[in-house]
Amino acid sequence: MRRFRHETGTLRGAAYDASAAREERTMIENTKCECGHQNPIGTVLCESCGKPTSNDAGAGLLEMRYDGVARRSQKANPNLIDRVWNFFSSVKVAVWLILITLAAAVIGTVLRQENTFFNPSMVDLERFYTEQYGTFGKIYYALGLTRTYETWWFKTLLFMIGTSLVVCSLDRVLPLYRALNKQGIRKHPQFLKRQRVSLETGLPPGYEGNGGADRWIEAFAASLRKKRYRVRVEGAALFAEKNRFSRWGPYVNHVGLIIFLLAALLRSLIPEWNTELDMQWVEGETKRIEGTPYYLKVNRFTEEYYEKDELPEALRETGQGVAKSFETDAVLLECVSDCEGEHPVLEERLQHTIAVNDPLKYDGLAIYQFHFEPTDQIVSMRLTLKREGEESEENLGTFRLDSFDMKLSQQAGSHLVEIEEYYPEFFIRDDRPATKSKEPVNPGYVLAISEGDGGERFRYLFVPKLGIWTELEAEGYKVRGEPSGGFRVAIDSEDDLQLARYKTFLTVRSHKGMEWIWTGAAIFMIGVIMGFYWQHRRVWASVDGGVLLVGAHTNKNWFSLRRETADALRAAGVEVQPNELDNGVKRH
Amino acid sequence: MKKYRKPMQIAILLVFVLVGGITVASALSNDAEAPPTEGQIAPDFSVAGLDGQTYRLSDFRGRHVVLNFWGSFCDPCVREMPLLQQIYEHYADEGVVVLGVNLDESLATVRSFVRSVDVNFPILLDHGKIQKRYGVIYYPTTFVIGPDGKIAHKKVGEITDMRQVAAYF
Repeated sequence: MRRFRHETGTLRGAAYDASAAREERTMIENTKCECGHQNPIGTVLCESCGKPTSNDAGAGLLEMRYDGVARRSQKANPNLIDRVWNFFSSVKVAVWLILITLAAAVIGTVLRQENTFFNPSMVDLERFYTEQYGTFGKIYYALGLTRTYETWWFKTLLFMIGTSLVVCSLDRVLPLYRALNKQGIRKHPQFLKRQRVSLETGLPPGYEGNGGADRWIEAFAASLRKKRYRVRVEGAALFAEKNRFSRWGPYVNHVGLIIFLLAALLRSLIPEWNTELDMQWVEGETKRIEGTPYYLKVNRFTEEYYEKDELPEALRETGQGVAKSFETDAVLLECVSDCEGEHPVLEERLQHTIAVNDPLKYDGLAIYQFHFEPTDQIVSMRLTLKREGEESEENLGTFRLDSFDMKLSQQAGSHLVEIEEYYPEFFIRDDRPATKSKEPVNPGYVLAISEGDGGERFRYLFVPKLGIWTELEAEGYKVRGEPSGGFRVAIDSEDDLQLARYKTFLTVRSHKGMEWIWTGAAIFMIGVIMGFYWQHRRVWASVDGGVLLVGAHTNKNWFSLRRETADALRAAGVEVQPNELDNGVKRH
Repeated sequence: MKKYRKPMQIAILLVFVLVGGITVASALSNDAEAPPTEGQIAPDFSVAGLDGQTYRLSDFRGRHVVLNFWGSFCDPCVREMPLLQQIYEHYADEGVVVLGVNLDESLATVRSFVRSVDVNFPILLDHGKIQKRYGVIYYPTTFVIGPDGKIAHKKVGEITDMRQVAAYF
């Protein structure tokens, strides 16, 4: 058994040996400082007096990161949870995670992503990628890289970065907070001497004799207070500190990032928070926005081209038109009752001209201009029902044919008009009326006209666009609906005909929870500002047997710290130049 | 302080496992929304038919279902209609169901078309929902769904022979 264990130990190699070595060290390592304080394993500077522990290299400048305290993850005998914690607490791991995610994000930019298609569910993507990019495209699609940012592994990476952010922060901020909250005033002489800003000198004139040390410390304290340091004095030792809050900057900005990531996650979970719909409208059409109580009515689409003299020379030659603007006049309506029924009641909410980069925005909904196409459709007709009398035609009444809101039966005066058949793009297939498409490009109606009350019904074929007749005749088709029963249907004036010249393609986005995204971003910025524009500065001083020791530390802008410390020292009678404070010892 | 650490650690860990689980599950459920392929369960739907009745796919569990997507504007769809009617009549005794899903045409169009081609299997008035869920891009597309609710065959394009469908019963 023993032998076996030994063998696996050697087989596992370095990893096994390292953990064994760590265990061994916990047995012999004396973590008690000579000042009597018991430090946790991994401590570099004694938590109490600042004396370097056996973990310190022994020479050069002090390692002041996290104030020399042990991080949460530096723990003996880690269990499973500790190991997971330790993994995520590693900055090395965090950097790798970020690099891998970056690489994955780059892969997602190689070929066009699926969500850039208009209505991707209606596109044969496999065929598109194969035809457009060949075998590479086919493989890229098969691997799911055409939707890189929605794949489970990409989301897992993002989640791991989030976890690493939280764990790395907690692992450092808690011990650091504890350390900064209980800083001693009197430090070990080594701690002061090995600071990057340090001075060892005698007491200046005027402070000799009994109590001189205490008086000098008081004078130095007063000059530091003028520089807005918070100063604590203990006998002939002093500790001054300012702008400690800037140390929390990185952690505040991590909190911001976490809020940002969680909000992004929620947006992907709650459909109402973030959905994107690609829809098309014909001028004059009112259509419901799927999954919402809103309808959009498109009144008019306009496009404008640059005049020739507005174009640069190079483009003028090509003779191609360049669109100056294209925009959709639209009205947003909300359904207030009978929304699932046949006659929903709509109320107008907002009118807006949607142009590129100028969406219609209402209640977390944003509707963007995407694309347009010219078309030629009949949206609606106001028709007059006539009957030929003996001498003149008689108007019986009017009715409407709306291509996008079809009423199958309606009253024209005292007569009943019913739609029996409808062909949006009328043509003749195998001697029968049929349609070429779903769009009312050339609508054909078979109407049944009667006097109501179950009287005789007369069928009438109505195809308002004239162009069709020659085609029909050429195919030898006999037009049913020659005046039938003496009835005739007519469009009396041009105003009675509503045409659509354009189809407009709009993208509808619902944008909710954005306030959380912005909150996260704002907190992130606050953290950055806290950490960048202020520095945590500390000054220690002690007088022992006529020897004056000063040490100072900051997390950045050392030049300014040296100047400030020299100024304060001069105010207390110690003549010193800022550069003399620079502790020449190289950092190892 | 030490003794609070363990439950605290476990609580934090649980929160992370939860958030991570939700993240990955949401990504995977997006994949589940992808169009079904052969061998997968046919997504259920409930939709009104031309006859005014409501049709629910899961009501036909235990029977073969031929789910055909068609439009009157699509020539091959029109051509295969008589064949679908034949399948409907021929296999009715074996409990085979034929459902014709119309591709979002107006009621007047559908009604007159069905009357003119003389078919009497149920016609469903889909307004793009079922079509989208099933990822139907080409017309016609016909799914043969087994008694277990799984897609036995997906036929894209015109059916020219009854056996192209019947082979999967």
